[in-house]
Amino acid sequence: MADFSAQSYRQPFPFLDIDPTMESLTQFAELNPQSFILDNSAFNFQTFFPLSINDSLFSNQASEGETMSGFIHNSNQSSVSAQPIFSAKTEMEEISNKRKALDISESSSGNSSSTSPQVSETGIKRRNNSGRGKRAKSNEKEMEKPKEVVHVRARRGQATDSHSLAERVRRGKINERLRCLQDIVPGCYKTMGMALMLDEIINYVQSLQNQVEFLSMKLTAASTYYDFNSESDAMERMQREKAEEAKELERLMREGYVGIGGVACFHSSSTYGPL
Amino acid sequence: MNNPHHLNPTSLKSRFTTRFLRALTKIRAQKPISSSSPTEIFRRYRRIKVAADKSMAYSVRSRRIWSKAMLWKLRSRSYRRQDPCSGRRSGKTNQAIMKKSSNENTTTRREDGVGFVEEADELRQLVPGGETMNLCNLLDETAHYIKCLTTQVQVMKKIADFYSF
Repeated sequence: MADFSAQSYRQPFPFLDIDPTMESLTQFAELNPQSFILDNSAFNFQTFFPLSINDSLFSNQASEGETMSGFIHNSNQSSVSAQPIFSAKTEMEEISNKRKALDISESSSGNSSSTSPQVSETGIKRRNNSGRGKRAKSNEKEMEKPKEVVHVRARRGQATDSHSLAERVRRGKINERLRCLQDIVPGCYKTMGMALMLDEIINYVQSLQNQVEFLSMKLTAASTYYDFNSESDAMERMQREKAEEAKELERLMREGYVGIGGVACFHSSSTYGPL
Repeated sequence: MNNPHHLNPTSLKSRFTTRFLRALTKIRAQKPISSSSPTEIFRRYRRIKVAADKSMAYSVRSRRIWSKAMLWKLRSRSYRRQDPCSGRRSGKTNQAIMKKSSNENTTTRREDGVGFVEEADELRQLVPGGETMNLCNLLDETAHYIKCLTTQVQVMKKIADFYSF
């Protein structure tokens, strides 16, 4: 126990609530051999994983010593002995997480693809996979600082599933809408953060409102110089307006501009166009 | 050079154009060129601007939260103008006040954990009826509102160009 804590690799607190299941153990056994296809010499982490997991498990079970050394041997033999101490999902997450980090850092994507379906089989929600995809890079950087990784995971593990799932769904929706707005609002770059994009959107809306005001001023000025009350003039004007609009619509569509009917990213876009 | 088949007669643009032009002709019919004083001009400007917003909101009907809120605002303002002592008006403004206060409460509580609270509040002030929306709906409404504003600007620009010739 002391050895592993000296390695400062992992804190056992995420595992304290875990119910051991044989099922997850067998899945871990399945995962385990695949990890050792990777180049062992490149990373010491590989040997660390099962050890650290066992470390935490042993902290739960208070059975240290012998089984740890047993695992040290096992990790090189790619066979996990029947230690039915294993986890639930957070552990599987971490295993596949670390595996994914290794995969990416070794640029062997075959393993990650093979691990991910198993991970999803264990019932981990896909959002975690996507979150891991984003965090794989940070995992790379954080290979020497596993504590930060653990904190991230602990945060996820601690939140109740329904809450975090709902939050993630909300955030996904918001991101999707922000991306659509990005297409509409000129001057938004993909590299900009959310706050900057919101500022851009605010500026754009303000400028549009100012334009409306200015144009209505212009119309007042124009109307004070013109004097017609006749219907025919109005109808002529309307017809000419329509023709001009048709021309401009044509032109806009030719330019491929996301114009009036082209906001396709909203689900209700169909209601905009025809009605 | 009429290409009527290119223009969708039920599109937002055409609906807004027809309504706005109708309102414009009405305004021009009301006031023959007696207006030279700045107050008159300003009043006409206000009327035209209100007509623009109103015709845009009417083209969208109540399908959108912002259009509903804008129509409501315009109606309450018009009631206030016409009849300053009407009970109906006071009811509406009371409703508006209560709605606004409750919205403010909800917005202060709305620390979504997403982190864009100040910008979101600013956006809420810009978009009509924005105080009642959470961030998700707010972005949706903003997009539609931007689209309608661009339509408005396009059409008004063309009309203004037409008149300035």
